[in-house]
Amino acid sequence: MIELEEGIRKGLRIIPIVDKEIRQLVRDPKTILMVLLMPITVTILFGYGYGGKGAGKYPITVVDLDGGDGAFKFIQELRNSKMFEIKAIYKSKGQGFSSVYSGKVYASLIIPETFTEDLMRGRPTRVELYYDASNPTVAQMIMQAVGVVTQQFQEWAASQFGTFAITPMFYTVYGPKIKKIESFIPTLMAMILQMVPTSLISVSICREREKGTFEQFIMTPVSVFDIIFGKLTAYFFATISDAILSLFTAILLFDVKLKGTFLDMTIVSTVFLLNSLSLGLLISVFSRNQLQAYQASIFSFIIFMLFSGVLIPVDVLSSEAKLIASFVPMYYFVTAFRNVSLKGWSYLMVLDQLTVISMFTFAFLALSLRFLRMEVT
Amino acid sequence: MLEAQRLEEQPELAVEARNLTKRFGKFIAVDHINLEIRRGENFGLLGPNGAGKTTTIRMITGVIKPSEGYVKVFGIDVARERKKVLKYIGYMPQKFSLYEDLTVEENIRLYGRLQGLTGSLLKERVKELLERFYLWEFRRRLAGKLSGGMKQRLALATALVHDPALLILDEPTAGVDPPLRRKFWEHFRELNREGKTILVTTHYMDEAENCDRLALMNRGRIIAEGTPREIKRKALGGDLVEIVFEGDLDPAALPGVKSVLEDSSERYLLVVEDAGRDLPRIVKRAEELGAKILVASPVHVSLEEAFIRFMGESE
Ligand SMILES: Nc1ncnc2c1ncn2[C@@H]1O[C@H](COP(=O)(O)OP(=O)(O)OP(=O)(O)O)[C@@H](O)[C@H]1O
Ligand SMILES: [Mg+2]
Repeated sequence: MIELEEGIRKGLRIIPIVDKEIRQLVRDPKTILMVLLMPITVTILFGYGYGGKGAGKYPITVVDLDGGDGAFKFIQELRNSKMFEIKAIYKSKGQGFSSVYSGKVYASLIIPETFTEDLMRGRPTRVELYYDASNPTVAQMIMQAVGVVTQQFQEWAASQFGTFAITPMFYTVYGPKIKKIESFIPTLMAMILQMVPTSLISVSICREREKGTFEQFIMTPVSVFDIIFGKLTAYFFATISDAILSLFTAILLFDVKLKGTFLDMTIVSTVFLLNSLSLGLLISVFSRNQLQAYQASIFSFIIFMLFSGVLIPVDVLSSEAKLIASFVPMYYFVTAFRNVSLKGWSYLMVLDQLTVISMFTFAFLALSLRFLRMEVT
Repeated sequence: MLEAQRLEEQPELAVEARNLTKRFGKFIAVDHINLEIRRGENFGLLGPNGAGKTTTIRMITGVIKPSEGYVKVFGIDVARERKKVLKYIGYMPQKFSLYEDLTVEENIRLYGRLQGLTGSLLKERVKELLERFYLWEFRRRLAGKLSGGMKQRLALATALVHDPALLILDEPTAGVDPPLRRKFWEHFRELNREGKTILVTTHYMDEAENCDRLALMNRGRIIAEGTPREIKRKALGGDLVEIVFEGDLDPAALPGVKSVLEDSSERYLLVVEDAGRDLPRIVKRAEELGAKILVASPVHVSLEEAFIRFMGESE
């Protein structure tokens, strides 16, 4: 049998593949468009659409049924807190509700008829908050903020009139989506980290088939493993900037204040990015041509958007839909990223979600390795 | 230059195909063919469009799987042990298959690295090939921006990067101008001299004359095989000679004559078994019979004619 002399190295061929892919990516104008322009554009659109003026404050309405000095003072306090932007002060509950239902504001705060009188007499009293529960994150923040303001107001009232207690009461209302840019960051990241990497890598193998370069490529001792992991690595480097760019655009342009640390957010994003890329590779393995691959990426993207809780909260979905959601990696990412970015959790606290996402990644990669044919068709 | 393989241990046949068959659905693109390509020879695979040449070659390189039969390259079964066989094959597909968005040098380098070359060995090899195929001054140009002839040169250089013992070239000279075609064939000769085996397809019959042996394919089958000379003989049933004479003579009765192709009063085209042996005999006999031979010479038969005859027979 023939033996080659020294000089021909055996083993993995990942590095030359990574090198090649990155050169090609850099030279492809599509890459620049998708990796650089798209995240920035989408972020800016979201920023203006959902952030806009009064960034950092939650728009609410107030229903002043009391009309007295106590109510006036309480409203002052809300304003001073700088956490709310009071869009309107109404005289009837109906107006307050409709401002939430119609989606104009996140919540309406109702000050009852006897508020001033109760205060003066030192009787326990209450304020009622009707909030839009379709966005749990924002709702929670508003409740906290109302709690804080009420607490401060009560301390003042106690010192003045010996008021016994002011209890904030919370009632849920389901309104349409209106969100502040902060609460939209997880959605934004999910979209960008799903769409760009998946569609970009989804054409990578079938383009080689379509152009005929695959025929020459597989005449070298590259393995299925080399191809899958070589491409994965190259596209990972190319698209990680995606995530960082979006975050920075949001932070710089819209003064977004995230509680999560950069490290935690990056870890969670990376885990999800690898998932998106693996899905794209799987699509590429099964697609006959580039058009098919793009279609498959967009189709999966739509499904993911519908079932990941970014459009409709998963809690309100039917049980069948919930079952579908449980097979959507984006759902786990949105949950994890919400907790990390908005609540400031460490990535260790969302390990469950990260594990599930990684299991999907593993499955996608295993299927890609299994079904990539080293043949031309 | 890479060290060549230990040749003495190689089997006699570079390529051996048995019952090789490829079906695409109901259509049979390659139909139970047998091929034997000896080490060191230049073997030409000829045939009209759609004959099944590329499909055959793809089975030999293992980029498609045979529906039936097998191929062995240097004794190694391609379908079973493809990985082992790859390092001995340099392949130049019919369609340009290198990366158009990489430069000339990057393409050769990439393939060198994928074949396992590193360091100074890689560097030298790339430089050597760039120079050998006159690509040095274009090394920074994107492959997509090259002319047809330069693309073919690059493809050949890339196919050679790992110094393979068997070169499989699918229409390497398609779209190449005549001077460059000649250069290509000089390269092939040189490679043969280095001990490499070449399997080449072409539509140019003048090129095919340069092959040591040929196989003619039509509709998925091999309809003729042999050296160019043998093929021509087979097509006609022998060698072609022309005689012109004065006198009364029945050319069909002359020694060695198998048939009379053309009979235009005193000028005859005859098929004989062997021109070198039979011509003197014909002249001698004709003169014995009292005829005066004015012309008696072998006629050059082009491969093209031979092929057209074979094709006509096989229809
Ligand atoms: N992947 C395929 N699917 C279906 N039919 C195919 C496929 N590949 C080749 N064929 C058919 O097989 C036949 C042989 O094709 P092949 O490319 O081998 O011919 P060829 O001799 O190389 O022709 P040419 O001189 O034009 O290159 C053709 O009729 C072709 O249409
Ligand atoms: Mg062909």
